[in-house]
Amino acid sequence: MASKRISKELQDLQKDPPTSCSAGPAGDDLFHWQATIMGPGDSPYSGGVFFVTIHFPPDYPFKPPKVQFQTKVYHPNINSQGSICLDILKEQWSPALTISKVLLSICSLLTDPNPDDPLVPEIAHIYKTDRSRYEETAREWTRKFAMG
Amino acid sequence: MSDYGDSDYEEMSMGGDEGGYSDDEGFAYSDQEEGVASPVAKSSKKTFIVLDSEELRERLKAAVVQVVDLLCISDAEATRALRFYKWDLTKLQEDWFTDPDAVRQKVGLLDEQPSTRRKEETCKICFESYPVADMASARCKHYYCKDCWSGYVQTAIDSGPSCLDLRCPDPECKAAVPRTVIMAVADAAHKKRYEEFAVRSFVDDQRQLSWCPAPDCQHAVVSLSDRLGVAQDIFCRCGNAFCFNCKEEAHRPVDCETVRKWMIKNSAESENLNWILANTKPCPKCTRPIEKNQGCMHMTCSQCRHEFCWLCQGPWAEHGERTGGFYNCNRFKKAVEKGEVDEQEQKRQHARQSLERYMHYWQRWAENDSSRKKALQQVDKFRGEQQEVLSERTATPTSQLKFIVDAWMQVVHCRRILKWTYATAYYTFEETSGATKEYRERMAQHQEFFEFNQGQAEHYLEKLHHKVEKDLSRFLKAKPQPGAEGDGAGGSGEAGPSGSGDAGPSGSRDQQAAWNTFREQLIGLTDVTRIHFEKLVNEFEKGLDEALKEYDAPMEDEDPGASAAAEAAAAAEAAAAAAAAAKGKAAAAPSRRVTRSSKRRQSSQDDPETTALEEETGFWQCRHCTYANDLGDKVCSVCEQPRDATGGR
Repeated sequence: MASKRISKELQDLQKDPPTSCSAGPAGDDLFHWQATIMGPGDSPYSGGVFFVTIHFPPDYPFKPPKVQFQTKVYHPNINSQGSICLDILKEQWSPALTISKVLLSICSLLTDPNPDDPLVPEIAHIYKTDRSRYEETAREWTRKFAMG
Repeated sequence: MSDYGDSDYEEMSMGGDEGGYSDDEGFAYSDQEEGVASPVAKSSKKTFIVLDSEELRERLKAAVVQVVDLLCISDAEATRALRFYKWDLTKLQEDWFTDPDAVRQKVGLLDEQPSTRRKEETCKICFESYPVADMASARCKHYYCKDCWSGYVQTAIDSGPSCLDLRCPDPECKAAVPRTVIMAVADAAHKKRYEEFAVRSFVDDQRQLSWCPAPDCQHAVVSLSDRLGVAQDIFCRCGNAFCFNCKEEAHRPVDCETVRKWMIKNSAESENLNWILANTKPCPKCTRPIEKNQGCMHMTCSQCRHEFCWLCQGPWAEHGERTGGFYNCNRFKKAVEKGEVDEQEQKRQHARQSLERYMHYWQRWAENDSSRKKALQQVDKFRGEQQEVLSERTATPTSQLKFIVDAWMQVVHCRRILKWTYATAYYTFEETSGATKEYRERMAQHQEFFEFNQGQAEHYLEKLHHKVEKDLSRFLKAKPQPGAEGDGAGGSGEAGPSGSGDAGPSGSRDQQAAWNTFREQLIGLTDVTRIHFEKLVNEFEKGLDEALKEYDAPMEDEDPGASAAAEAAAAAEAAAAAAAAAKGKAAAAPSRRVTRSSKRRQSSQDDPETTALEEETGFWQCRHCTYANDLGDKVCSVCEQPRDATGGR
């Protein structure tokens, strides 16, 4: 069931790739993918290319995939380990969601952080109190880690 | 799922009535035999009902059926709606008749026709195409295949009771997955779990329902009390007694807050106390507990530098070579030195006193608790083996030995009440600094009154406990009665509490008589003890102020012959004595009854000594239950045994 569905998703992604991201198996293992996300233009991450790993559990799609940033990101909902705090990757997961939808959700999370449910409280605090400082740091990190 | 035929699919997508709750039964809690299982409250109305899992399911079904009838919706819909409304039928009904569509929207009871009537649909989970007939939806337009449904449903069930609120897999869709779909796609083990969650929610979501907290007990309890949120003793069929409100062990008449405080205090202090008691001795000078962690007997207190001998606790100055003394700690000496009591000393004494005060109450609390546990073991032992033995030895059918179990259960129950009265006394009569003189006097009066009643109750409990434990063992040890009654041989000389020492031809008959006496006495004592504890509990719940006031008021003249007045009389008897005690008058006799009808006496006793005593005290004591009756009464007001038959002294 899981591998069949993952293949289907892969086919769909190749047939109709989303504009700002791409994804596919990292090697021979169909359950282990790598994806790239382009920093959204209207965000301080603009111009950066962010690498993401995706692990599918054996009972996918009934359990959510494990998604993690490999590139360092300065973001209230992404910690230094690359873990992402996103509801649809946890309790709001639904088997009707796909990797493509997950990647799009991550894109919009980059544009619109959710500082009220932060994974990194310090960044969330700066985001709320000193937006320009947050944007500056995020841009700097993007330049440093997600470009070139 | 192999049995996934087309017809099932029809049912599923329609959210049909199949396999649902269809028992024809009313929702209103039907009468059961329970609710007054308390060994104490025999007469009062029932306050709770114990349900086994079967009865619980019946109730759940009945609740659903009622909603089905009332709102004209399917079983599956009714179940979801009730769950959403936490089984509050009134609220659901109210909302439904105000705006049924709003309720449907909230709960997720959709009725959307499929957008297409195509032959095939793509499953939105596995992206395969299937004939629509092989697919199902939660009555919304999102169709999924059977494998995806069962994966979805079973994963949800595995993740816990939130599966009861399962919605359509589509993130935008709020349609509730009907029970019918779940039953059609889940395997047997998952179905069972789902049903268990449903029953659990039925109990957990309703304030008037609760599980019995005993390990492995499957019973639930419906409280019929109109005062939820205050302590209520529940006696489960499994034998566990617990408080409906705080789920601790039953603790009437003490409130839940006191129990909580007491338990916290115990867990914090009892371990310390036990350790200190077991491992330390107080320094003979400053009384601080000292642990001896090295071998030598020459101790030096680390606080006051006092040097002493660990064995005799005398000053070391009288020991040892350095001072020219000798090792003579075999002598026993009481060394009480009354030195100056400085401020530090006073503080130390105060701390010690408060610890001692706590220990006083704690020890009594703990003793009664362990007594209760031992009594419980005795009940098991009796039911297990002793019953048979006793039945044989006394030629009594086991069905007629229930009075012994009753007596034991009374002991268990009373030990528990008594135990909690110690906990509450610790808090109620705590020394409060800065209290007015009147207040302190009133509290002293309360305490005296309370302790008198407690003492009374305890007195009877001890008697009962002794009788059912010690006296019973004599019958258990006695030789079996050979054959029919009147058979000459056998009969232990020891049999019976009346202590008829003779064996021989009349032994058997004596033994039988002794057994009968024991039986009557035990039944009587059980009753009396019950009454005393009821009184204690009632007074406490009423408030001591109120209780005292009642006893100060002049008593109504009562007809001593009235048979109905058994309990009232018992209460009045102790009440008068208690009031006397509280006022500081002597009340040494445990059962002295202040009576106005002592003139109406009846001379049924020839024994001049007894008669004289009765004349003097104004009562006759029942031989069965030891209750002090009015001289005018012909039968005991408590156990209703005739005076003549019992001898009455």
